[in-house]
Amino acid sequence: MSKLTRETLNKIKQEHAKPRNNWIKVGMSTCGIAAGADIVLETIKQEVKKRNLAVTVGQCGCAGKCYAEPLVEVCIDGVPQVIYGNVDKKSAIEIIERHVANKKLLNDHIYNVKGK
Amino acid sequence: MIKAKINNVDVQVKKGSTILDAAKLINVNIPTLCKHPDLHATGACGICIVKIKGTNKMMRSCCTPLDEGMDIITHDQELQETRRTVIELILSNHPNDCLQCGRNNNCELQKLAGDFGIREFPFKHHLRNLPEDDSTKTISLVPEKCILCGRCVQVCQDLQDVWALSFLERGMNTRISAAGDINLADSPCIKCGQCSAHCPTGAIFEYDQTHRAWQSLYNPDKFCVVQIAPAVRVAIGEAFGFPVGTNLTGKLYAALRMLGFKAVFDTTFGADLTIVEEASEFVERFVHKKGVLPLITSCCPSWVDYMERFYPDMIEYFSTAKSPHAMVGVLSKTYYAQKNKIDPAKIEMISIMPCTAKKYEVSRSEQMFASGHQDIDIVLTTRELARMIKQAGIDFANLSDEQPDHILGDYTGAGVIFGATGGVMEAALRTAYSLVTNKKLAKLDFNSVRGLEGVKETEVDIEGTKVKVAVAHGIGNVEYVLKKVEKAIADKTEMPYHFIEVMACPGGCVGGGGQPYGVTDKLRIKRAQGLYQEDADTKIRSSHENPFVCKLYEEFLGKPLGEKSHKLLHTRYTPKPMYKK
Amino acid sequence: MSGKNDKKIILVCDTDGKQREADYADMITSVLSEEKLDGQVQVIRVAELGIYGQGVIVKILPENIIYKISDETAIAELVSEVIKKNKTLKESVLEDNPKQLKIVLRNCGIIDPENIDDYIALDGYQALSRVIFDSSPEEVIAQLKISGLRGRGGGGFPTATKWNFARRTEADQKYIICNADEGDPGAYMDRSVLEGDPHSVIEGMIIGGFAIGADKGYFYIRAEYPLAIERVQKAIEQAREYGLLGENILGSDFNFDLDIRLGAGAFVCGEETALIASIEGKRGCPTPRPPYPSIKGLWGKPTVINNVETLANIAVILLKGAKWFAAIGSATSKGTKVFALTGKVKNSGLIEVPMGITIREIVYEIGGGVFEDKKLKAVQTGGPSGGVIPKEFLDTPVDYENLQKLGSIMGSGGMIVLDEDDCMVDIAKFYLRFCVDESCGKCAPCRIGGFQMLNYLKDISRGKASQGDLLKLENICNSVKKASLCGLGQTAPNPILSTLKYFRVEYDQHINDHRCAAKKCTDLLRFVISKEKCVSCGMCSRDCPVNAIPKNENKEYIINQELCIKCGKCFDVCKFDAVIRE
Repeated sequence: MSKLTRETLNKIKQEHAKPRNNWIKVGMSTCGIAAGADIVLETIKQEVKKRNLAVTVGQCGCAGKCYAEPLVEVCIDGVPQVIYGNVDKKSAIEIIERHVANKKLLNDHIYNVKGK
Repeated sequence: MIKAKINNVDVQVKKGSTILDAAKLINVNIPTLCKHPDLHATGACGICIVKIKGTNKMMRSCCTPLDEGMDIITHDQELQETRRTVIELILSNHPNDCLQCGRNNNCELQKLAGDFGIREFPFKHHLRNLPEDDSTKTISLVPEKCILCGRCVQVCQDLQDVWALSFLERGMNTRISAAGDINLADSPCIKCGQCSAHCPTGAIFEYDQTHRAWQSLYNPDKFCVVQIAPAVRVAIGEAFGFPVGTNLTGKLYAALRMLGFKAVFDTTFGADLTIVEEASEFVERFVHKKGVLPLITSCCPSWVDYMERFYPDMIEYFSTAKSPHAMVGVLSKTYYAQKNKIDPAKIEMISIMPCTAKKYEVSRSEQMFASGHQDIDIVLTTRELARMIKQAGIDFANLSDEQPDHILGDYTGAGVIFGATGGVMEAALRTAYSLVTNKKLAKLDFNSVRGLEGVKETEVDIEGTKVKVAVAHGIGNVEYVLKKVEKAIADKTEMPYHFIEVMACPGGCVGGGGQPYGVTDKLRIKRAQGLYQEDADTKIRSSHENPFVCKLYEEFLGKPLGEKSHKLLHTRYTPKPMYKK
Repeated sequence: MSGKNDKKIILVCDTDGKQREADYADMITSVLSEEKLDGQVQVIRVAELGIYGQGVIVKILPENIIYKISDETAIAELVSEVIKKNKTLKESVLEDNPKQLKIVLRNCGIIDPENIDDYIALDGYQALSRVIFDSSPEEVIAQLKISGLRGRGGGGFPTATKWNFARRTEADQKYIICNADEGDPGAYMDRSVLEGDPHSVIEGMIIGGFAIGADKGYFYIRAEYPLAIERVQKAIEQAREYGLLGENILGSDFNFDLDIRLGAGAFVCGEETALIASIEGKRGCPTPRPPYPSIKGLWGKPTVINNVETLANIAVILLKGAKWFAAIGSATSKGTKVFALTGKVKNSGLIEVPMGITIREIVYEIGGGVFEDKKLKAVQTGGPSGGVIPKEFLDTPVDYENLQKLGSIMGSGGMIVLDEDDCMVDIAKFYLRFCVDESCGKCAPCRIGGFQMLNYLKDISRGKASQGDLLKLENICNSVKKASLCGLGQTAPNPILSTLKYFRVEYDQHINDHRCAAKKCTDLLRFVISKEKCVSCGMCSRDCPVNAIPKNENKEYIINQELCIKCGKCFDVCKFDAVIRE
């Protein structure tokens, strides 16, 4: 990485700010990890790899809903963007199977629906 | 200048003055406990609180500077009640065995409780069960009695730069201890006792050997002899109501005889002898280029201990001459014993010192047994002697002056100023000048090495040759001097000094760790003045002119730095680990 | 999300979180299948839609409209009108009125904290670039002054004033320190910000350095936050690689760099002067103020110490404008406050709300109400330095002054909901024990006063104190408050004083009647087994750690009161409510 100038900073901003689809984010703060987010993240990564899905798996910090950790946010083409809460290994696999592969929402785990 | 109001009285003080100091100007004493004039305020005790009108907070007057236009209240119901509760809280965590305490009668906490008329303990008494530490056999640490004012820690770390004492743990478990929770004897402690001189309570005090001294004095088989250090004579009076700095040499001799000592010597004679040896050493190194320069004085045992631990590389610069105290000790069991046909084994040499470290010095190396016996048996501090005089029922104030025993008691003005910082240097310069030039000095006073400045540097002209000297007191001030020397060694440049005097205690021995409590710079100056006055009043003011020192060389020692002198009057130094084990 | 899919989705949410006999999602599905619509509409049961206490609600996607569904008629209407005819039922629409406003937490849970580009994409380091090239230190401080930002660590001191003191003090070296020594029980705001969006704090620190004239900053983070430390470390490294830290930042002539110092877990090191002592390698004890750190701080140099949350506000304020920020909040307290909402609340977590919001809104509309729908007794704010706010004051707007008037403080952001099962003596004891454990031991009032206060509280909770002891306790409280050296000691009595202020009757009960109404103080309780309810299952006997409940097969069990240590294990394990506390 080279040192930024004002111009190159703005360039990164513009390039990186483009909306992207087909990603999954796992809340990986202490509250999430304490609730098992690391296992969930690992499971999701494995499942995505196993099924060869074109989905980026990433991490983020605490979204505030500590009572519902681990939280997994899913943004897939053709399905509303939602945050799943209280995700465990089993429901993580279900998210991949149902939501990512079959574009259907999961029951009982949605804690927020994003976007219009 | 800052203009403000205290208790509705206008005050004007220099910028930076604390509320506490400003209040004194209008004759208001705000009670304090942790604050000590030598040390910067830490605000630990919470007694000196005052109110600033317009704020709802109470501030500590010891460390809050007076600001322009401030309106201070130092005493009202709320303040008084809060102070009282804080005192009661402190007492709830402090042993109430005042009668058996080393500080009974001069404890600052006891005085505060007395002033506040504390008649009951409203809160549950809770003591910490903490072991005592008297491993150094020079000072005793009784952490249970500690009120955590932090004076000792500040003294040890900031004033003395030794860092032996420290706070351990936190909250109610906080306690003072040697850092690392080891015995003080295994720590870098240099036994200067400044902690004990600053402690407001009985948490740190001199390792009491009065009982042992009484046993010797009452033992008919023992021949008890005594010596008193220069600084003791101008401080002992404080224990008997004399003005600070009063020189009470004659009464001391009388009192010591009444205590039962068979011979009364004066360490000041030893001081003269030390100067003759040390000045000769200086001339050897300076004129005859035998040995390294600068020559560093070694009569302060804490300083010796510090050097051996912290700067072992610089040992060769030390004068090998023993301290005056050690010289009188060894001579009492050799020269004096032979001359008076007394079995040295029966002689019990007790010395009265302003110092706690002297208790350590008497067995610090094998050279301290040069007489074939331990040269000095017991060391008592000024504080211990005052107690013994009181126990013996001696009306000290009304004693008639007496003379010391001949010849280990005959001294010059040069010897007596040993007790103040710069004194050894001044005495040495007087003699060195004459040794180099074979002439008498016209003006004997070296004012540039007197006074309480931390480091005093000056140049002395000896017939066209400049002698550069430095005087430091308080170990915290030593680093500046030694770093300069170290740098010159490393850079192979010219030495910044030829001669260095160091005293571990601020002010020198007059401010020693075994002196009466309550020492401040004001007291240090007055005590030193007492010594300088005696010097000025004395006929002979140069050590080498002491006729009895000359006689001693003729009759017994031979010559300065001679074989016998070396055997009896000189010592060696060995590098020591900062921490044992 | 993509709008290409116009297939409707009905999200069904029970906002009371109760177990209902009828499953509304199933009911809707069956109505849909009757109408042969089940292939076109997906019905999903969701856990939460951000609205509480409204019974069952549904959210229709993609229209994003929320309806309250009270009964079967409403379901029928929903299907026939909204689904079939695509109409909007105006009278049943529930306004989604989010109570939270995320400024500090703007990026938390959104960006990857370990990727600086994520932060830059969301306007990261734009404020810094503007400040360096288009502004001056004076201008930055002037903007902060207009914004009205106050320190979020608890004191509420105006940030602009603090910065200005340091700016005006002449020195060859100045420092800025981020205080991340968060230690209040139940508080983890700073941890989440550092873990979720470290760059926002770093940007705030660089701007602070620019404003006060410091070229060196320190993060003081408690060692118990390993993940936060790791993320901050990574963020510093990335910022350094990008030239956002180091020499000639963004090509300008401004230099600034950061280092991390770890706190060893002493709560008192959150106090400014103790924090400085700790960084200097000394024992973490407070020293008297004045001199204030902004005049004479780290290694004797002017030093600004700001809390994590304060610093996370800086860049946004400068980017969106001081006036925008000043328009949020109450008259004296601007902007938002992050709270760690915990205790007996349904949705415990991290929230960010505009100042001036009421406690009721926080507890019921964000927190979803009291756990198990019990009665709310009070809300504790300010951690061990704060106090309790009883339910009578739930409609108080939250800001620095209001909370102080009630005898509590804003504090750093712990907010703990207390219900009818909480004993106020026990709560006071809990917080005081914390302060006694964390006292540095330097000053006598805090060290000994705290210990004595705790002893009296223990006696009260054991029913072994008199009214005279209570007076002594109050006396010590007042003295410790006034005579302690630092904030820890000065505020340590607050939990006692505030519980005494509002719940003195509970203290009286413990003292006079030897009774703890909340059944928390075990010394005042007896555990007994109800003959009627006991089914002799033996669970209590098995779990009793002192064998105080002998096996008594087929007969009811009896607790040997002599042996019982009142640990409460039997009470917890009994499935038949047969163990009674009396």
